[in-house]
Amino acid sequence: MPDFDKMMQRQQVLADFGELALRSSDLDRILAEACRLVGEALGTGRAKILEIVHAERQLLVRAGVGWDPGIIGFLRMPMEERTSETFAIEAGEPVISRDIAAEDRFDVPRFMKEAGVVALVNVPVFLPGGRAYGLLQVDDTRPRDFGQDEIQFLRTYSTLLGPVIDRLLLARALRSTEERFRLTVEAALDYAILLSDPQDRITDWLPGAQAVFGWTAEEAVGQPVAITFTPEDRASGQDRWETETARKEGVAPNVRWHLRKDGQRVFIEGSTRALRTPDGKLLGFLKIGQDVTERRAAEDRLRESEERFRQFGEASSDLIWVRDAETLQFEYLSPAFEAIYGEAREAVLSGDTLQRWADLIHPDDRERALSMIHRVRAGERAMSAFRIIRPSDGEIRWIENTDFPLYDSTGRVQRVAGLAKDVTEARMSAARLEVLVNELQHRSRNLLGVIASVASKTLGEEGAAADFQARLRALSRAQGLLSRYGSNIAEVGALVRAELAAHTEVHPPKVAVSGPQVLLTARQVQNFSLALHELTTNAVKYGALRDGKGQLSVTWTAERIGEGERLLTLDWIESGVDLQPEKVTRRGYGRQLIEKALSYALRARTEFVLGEDGVRCRIQLPLE
Amino acid sequence: MSTAAGPLVGRRILIVEDEYLIAEAMEEWLSGAGAKVVGPVPSVEQAFELIEEPEKVLDGAVLDVNLGRGETAYPVADRLNERGVPYLFATGDVRIIDDPGHRKRLRLEKPLSRQQLVREVERLVSGSPAHPD
Repeated sequence: MPDFDKMMQRQQVLADFGELALRSSDLDRILAEACRLVGEALGTGRAKILEIVHAERQLLVRAGVGWDPGIIGFLRMPMEERTSETFAIEAGEPVISRDIAAEDRFDVPRFMKEAGVVALVNVPVFLPGGRAYGLLQVDDTRPRDFGQDEIQFLRTYSTLLGPVIDRLLLARALRSTEERFRLTVEAALDYAILLSDPQDRITDWLPGAQAVFGWTAEEAVGQPVAITFTPEDRASGQDRWETETARKEGVAPNVRWHLRKDGQRVFIEGSTRALRTPDGKLLGFLKIGQDVTERRAAEDRLRESEERFRQFGEASSDLIWVRDAETLQFEYLSPAFEAIYGEAREAVLSGDTLQRWADLIHPDDRERALSMIHRVRAGERAMSAFRIIRPSDGEIRWIENTDFPLYDSTGRVQRVAGLAKDVTEARMSAARLEVLVNELQHRSRNLLGVIASVASKTLGEEGAAADFQARLRALSRAQGLLSRYGSNIAEVGALVRAELAAHTEVHPPKVAVSGPQVLLTARQVQNFSLALHELTTNAVKYGALRDGKGQLSVTWTAERIGEGERLLTLDWIESGVDLQPEKVTRRGYGRQLIEKALSYALRARTEFVLGEDGVRCRIQLPLE
Repeated sequence: MSTAAGPLVGRRILIVEDEYLIAEAMEEWLSGAGAKVVGPVPSVEQAFELIEEPEKVLDGAVLDVNLGRGETAYPVADRLNERGVPYLFATGDVRIIDDPGHRKRLRLEKPLSRQQLVREVERLVSGSPAHPD
C-alpha cells in the first residue's frame, strides 16, 4: 500500500530529523539535512530554506538540496509583494503552485524559472511567538500536484523546524554575547576589574587589574581587596566602609589613591558594587575602577596654568585681552578693563563682543582700531593708540595698544591678544613738555637779544665789543636752529650754512659746502657753532672770504668707528689766500675756542694748520 | 692778579665742569687767587684719575653737578667724602635737588662771579692746613 508506505516514510523522516535536531547544535547542518530529507520524502530531490533578512527586506537562500552551490548561502532576493514567497509568509500557510506558467497570484523569481522550476510549494516557518523565520520551499521541474497528505506533512515539518531554529539561534547569540563580554573585559586594560567574595577576598582578577595594580592573578586571588588600599585608608577602615556601603546600598563610590604592588600610588575612579542572586543572597563584590593618575596630573597642571594666567590677568593694571581669531569675539578680558574703559566687563562680554568694544571707540578712530585687529589676525604685531569715549564719565581717553597673534601648534593664528593702557596723562604731559621746551627756547633767545642790547649800550659797537656781539649772535643762531628742529638737535649743514650766510655774500663756486645730514645734540651744537663762527670770521677778515679771491670748501662725513659709535669728520679748507700769518695767530681767543673748547667736553680732535695759501682745519667729533 | 699772601696760595683745587668756557674762567679766577688748579676736567672718569694720583693731595674741589649725557658729579663727591676733601657744588640747575646724600653741601648757582667763587673756596679750605708741596 503505497500511501501507507509513504506515510511511514514521512513519519521516519520526521523522527530522523527530530533526533538530529536534538543531537546537533550546528544550524547549517540541521537545515541542510532538513532540505535533504524533505526532497527525499516528496520525491522532488529539490528543496531549500529561505531566511528573512529583516534589516534589508531580503530572503537569503540559507540551505538547500538540488541547487547550485553558488546559490546556497549566497543568493538573496528582495521581498517584493508580488512574489510567491512573500505571498506565502503573509498568508501564514502553505501556498501551492502546480504550474507556474498558469500562475496569476504572484511572480516566481527568475533564477527559479531559469533552473526549470515548474511546480512549487512554499511553507512558511515561524519561530515560537509567531515571528516569521522564512520559508521551506519544495519545487519540481515538472508540473505536479501536491496532495493534502503532502501538505500536512510539510506543515508538521515546518512546525518542528521553527523551535529547532529558534533554539540554535538563541544559543549562537548567547555564545557570541559571552565571547564579546569576555573579550571586552579582558581588553579593558585601563580598567581594574576584580571580583571578591562576601568576605571581600579576591576571587577574580582580570587583566586590567593586573595592568593597573601590578599583581598577577595568581598573586592576587585569595588576598583581601584591602591590599590595593593605601595604609592610611586601611587604618581608617576605608575598605570595610566600601563593602558595607555596597552591601547596604548596592554600590559604593571608590574614588581615591590606591597602592600598587611596587609601592607606587595610582588614583582610581570607580565603584564597588554588591553582587546578589535574584533572591537577594550576597555573592560578593564587583569592583571596577579606572586609573586616572595621569589625567589627574594633567588636569592639575592645566588648572595650575589656568590659575597662573588668571592671577596674572586679575592683578595687572594694564588691560589684557584675548580674542578668538576666527570670530574675533573676546575669550578673555581682564578686570583692568573696567578702570581703563570705564565700562562693566559684562557689558562688552555679551552679544557681539567685537561690536560692543568698537562702540566704545571714538568714531574717528574706530575704523583704524578695527583694522588693527584684522592685521594682527593676519599675523602682524602692531602698536597703536586710539581714543575712546569713556561711558562712566563721557571723557575722551587715549588708549595705547600692543597687539599680537597667538599661534596654535600648526602655526595657524588661533587667537589675537593684546595689552592696553590709558596713556592720556602721559600724552598730556608730553604735550605740556613740548610747550615748555618751546617756551624755554623762546626765552633763551630773548635773553641773548637782551644781553646783546645791553652790551651795545654799555660797551659801544667798536673793537672788542663788536667781536662780543658777533659771538653772541653766533650763539643765538645756534639756539635758533635748535628750536627749529623742535627739540634738542641741530643739523651740521644747517649750522655751517647759517654761519656763512651771516658773514658773507660769497657763494659757489667760491664756497663749496657739502656733506650728509648729521645731527648734533644741544651740548655739541653750542661749542661747534662757536668754532664755526671763529673759522668764518677769521676767513672773512683774513682768509678765503676776505675779498672774493680765495676759495673755501667745507665738507664732512659721518662714519662708523666701532660698536655703536660714529665719528663726524669736518674739513674746512681755504685756498688762494695771500696769508698774513701774524694777524691770524694774533687772534688767540678764537683759535683757543677752535682747538680747546671742542676737545674739552666733546672729546673732539681738532687740527688747525696755517697752510701756504690758507687755513686748513679738521674737526673730528664723536657723535652721541 | 696773584694775591701772594691769600688763603688759597699753594692750595690744590680740583675743578670738575663740562662747559669749557666756564671751566676756563674758573681756572683763571682760582689761579689768580694763588690756587694750584687740578684739572679742569669735564667727566667723572677723568676726575677719578686726578683724585687717585697719590702725590697730588687735594685741598678742595668745585663740582658742576650736571656733566651732560645724564652724568652727575655725585660719584666724585662721594669719593672726595671718603678722602675727607672739602668741596662745593657750582650748578646751573634750579630744580629741587633729589639727591639726599649731597643736600647739605654748599651749592653756588651759576652764573658765578670771580669774587663769589674765590670767597667760597677760601672759606672751604680755611678749616684745614695747607698740604706741603
